[in-house]
Amino acid sequence: MKEQKSIKLIRCGSSSGMGSGGADETVWECVIPYVQDPRDRDAVSLVCKRWYQIDALTRKHVTIALCYTATPERLSRRFPHLESLKLKGKPRAAMFNLIPEDWGGYVTSWVEEIDKSFCRMKALHFRRMIVIDADLEMLAKSPAGKVLEVLKLDKCSGFSTDGLLIIGRLCRNLKTLFMEESTIVEKDGEWLHELALNNTVLENVNFYMTDLTKVRSTDLELMAKNCPSLTSVKISDCDISDLIGFFKAANALEEFGGGSFNEPPGQIGEGVFNEQLGRYSAVSFPPRLCCLGLTYLGKAEMPLIFPIAARLKKLDLLYALLDTAGHCDLLQRCLNLEILETRNVIGDRGLEVLAQFCKKMKRLRIERGADEQEMEDVEGIVSQRGLIALAQGCLDLEYLAVYVSDITNEALECIGRYSKNMCDFRLVLLDREETITDLPLDNGVRSLLIGCEKLRRFALYLRPGGLTDLGLSYIGRYSPKVRWMLLGYVGESDDGLLVFSKGCPSLQKLEMRGCCFSERALAMAAMQLTSLRYLWVQGYRSVNRLDLLKMVRPNWNIELIPARRVYVQDANEQVIFDHPAHILAYYSLVGQRTDFPTTVMPLDPNALLN
Amino acid sequence: MSRSAIELDFFGMEKELSPPPKLPTFARRRSFRDIQGVISKINPEVLKTVIANGSSGLNKSVTVPCTPKEDHTIFPPLPVHGSNLRQSCEPKRSAETAPMTIFYNGMVAVFDVSPHKAKDILLHAEEEAQKPAESSDSKGTGSSSDQKNILGTLNGDFPIARRKSLQRFLEKRKER
Repeated sequence: MKEQKSIKLIRCGSSSGMGSGGADETVWECVIPYVQDPRDRDAVSLVCKRWYQIDALTRKHVTIALCYTATPERLSRRFPHLESLKLKGKPRAAMFNLIPEDWGGYVTSWVEEIDKSFCRMKALHFRRMIVIDADLEMLAKSPAGKVLEVLKLDKCSGFSTDGLLIIGRLCRNLKTLFMEESTIVEKDGEWLHELALNNTVLENVNFYMTDLTKVRSTDLELMAKNCPSLTSVKISDCDISDLIGFFKAANALEEFGGGSFNEPPGQIGEGVFNEQLGRYSAVSFPPRLCCLGLTYLGKAEMPLIFPIAARLKKLDLLYALLDTAGHCDLLQRCLNLEILETRNVIGDRGLEVLAQFCKKMKRLRIERGADEQEMEDVEGIVSQRGLIALAQGCLDLEYLAVYVSDITNEALECIGRYSKNMCDFRLVLLDREETITDLPLDNGVRSLLIGCEKLRRFALYLRPGGLTDLGLSYIGRYSPKVRWMLLGYVGESDDGLLVFSKGCPSLQKLEMRGCCFSERALAMAAMQLTSLRYLWVQGYRSVNRLDLLKMVRPNWNIELIPARRVYVQDANEQVIFDHPAHILAYYSLVGQRTDFPTTVMPLDPNALLN
Repeated sequence: MSRSAIELDFFGMEKELSPPPKLPTFARRRSFRDIQGVISKINPEVLKTVIANGSSGLNKSVTVPCTPKEDHTIFPPLPVHGSNLRQSCEPKRSAETAPMTIFYNGMVAVFDVSPHKAKDILLHAEEEAQKPAESSDSKGTGSSSDQKNILGTLNGDFPIARRKSLQRFLEKRKER
């Protein structure tokens, strides 16, 4: 109705020859807020000054993909009424222990601005950033603290449970507290007690993959009792048998992750099997639970899941202890499974089971298990056999990330042929096998890219000989919509990269590792890729560092992390890791950052030339 | 005479997972640039001699070129400095010396060294390796070995990095 009214107003406006009159303005003020997609908003803001203003005043959410591309002041100046902010700090490689801990990405200045200017901020998501207790305290005590509904400290570090205590005490409107994989200094378990006491609206609590051990299961139960809307809870290690009360109280729970199964010491043999079932048999999962991940789930405990297997939509087996047969046994019962995360112990056989029984699969992530043969099932490898079955059986796949031990062009062609909904594809070729069945993968990659028309994100991590320069040119030519790429050990020479960089029209973020490209090629590629705004490279063929100057230009920050040696104390030994140098380059509105640690250096043209 | 052979896996060859590099020919090749640079400083004639005379001890002292400056080599050169090697190549029949075997890229070199000299060579390697590696081609995996840290793989690859979360899980699982 409203839209029809708006259209009428436009007609009136144009027929009477009015330009940007009062009626027209009201129209856009009404319409533009309905435009949600950030890219659409970006386009809207470029039309004319008035539209820019309307967008600025009505924009609710902003994602800043790298916190050093702008400043808090610029943000508040342009979007004064912001209600939701997502900030990302450290390069993605930090998730793989490749970035120094003190690299940067401090939230302090942003929190100060929120305290000062953003009184309506309801949702905050900090990813791979450094957050200290003082930041959490300032946030909790700011005007935003009272209205804050979502706080995500995603893979962050620098804070302790003291900071969480203040949040729990003061942010009573918090619906989501997410801290997955953050490094937290644990003083005690009081923060959860405080949260459980003071909050009745919690929906999502996540401290999965943190090392918090002092959390009390009684507090979890209290939280479940006080918060009837609690739908998703993911915790650190806590024996499942201590959660019986929690599961009974959390009636609305749809997602649970973490906990752990532990064997009583000194038990071996058949007795364990029945003993475990006995111990955990009193566990009764909430009626709507459909997303599950239980740490250290083994063969003995698997039958506990069978009663709910058919209603599971999401299953996390990354930290389970199942072998290939165990995977097959469980997965054949999960007829409604849409999301699965596991290690490559699933094996080709497990993928065949998925293809046969789990027709609704949308997202599959297969991580790399242990390298030592004894630690994982001998069947626990994924190859072209599993991928071909998967592609043919699970036609709805949108996301596939897999570590393979062997691969063929045919497997990639299959994916191109059948996986028409694929948006995000990532393949890593493990380095354990000496000989790979079918390299180079030029033709398979081309077929995959042409066939998967919706592809937005693409990662290919191979080995020398895995992809020729021609194959690399295929990636350039056939990835029109891809915005992010990770390329490892691809191509043969600088020529390959230069041809590649003439394509990839949508590529905004490029990560490369283990390449044979020189500084000259890297710099030229950065200049040629039309949409590139972020480049990360580790391991390249250094010929002449001065060639990096070829990509010096306004608003383009270039940082180097020189090669370094890291000493890690591990029990009685000292293990030493040699890290090759990194190049990080990105567009920024605000010049070089000023908080470099000793391990990171800005590229200073003058210094290089001297 | 009982001798304890001190085997030093300088280049982490035991942990080498990628395809083993091809055996180089000893030939008249003077430049080892193709072999990742490190052992290039040892005159191939010397090595050849050493291998030929390995088990029977060495009858002659040989000179070894001093380690040259760092240029585009991947790692600082193996610090088998002239003086050290010369001494270790001198025949030492005393009971203190033991064979030091160096495995590299299919070549084997054996030197008779005293424990003191062996320690020197190792410390030198440590020292050299601790110089900030300027070259961005620096690479390698760490080999753990009680402070005697050794340069990693030299074939131009570094290992596929593991996700932090998985790494922690796999370590915890080992301890269970």
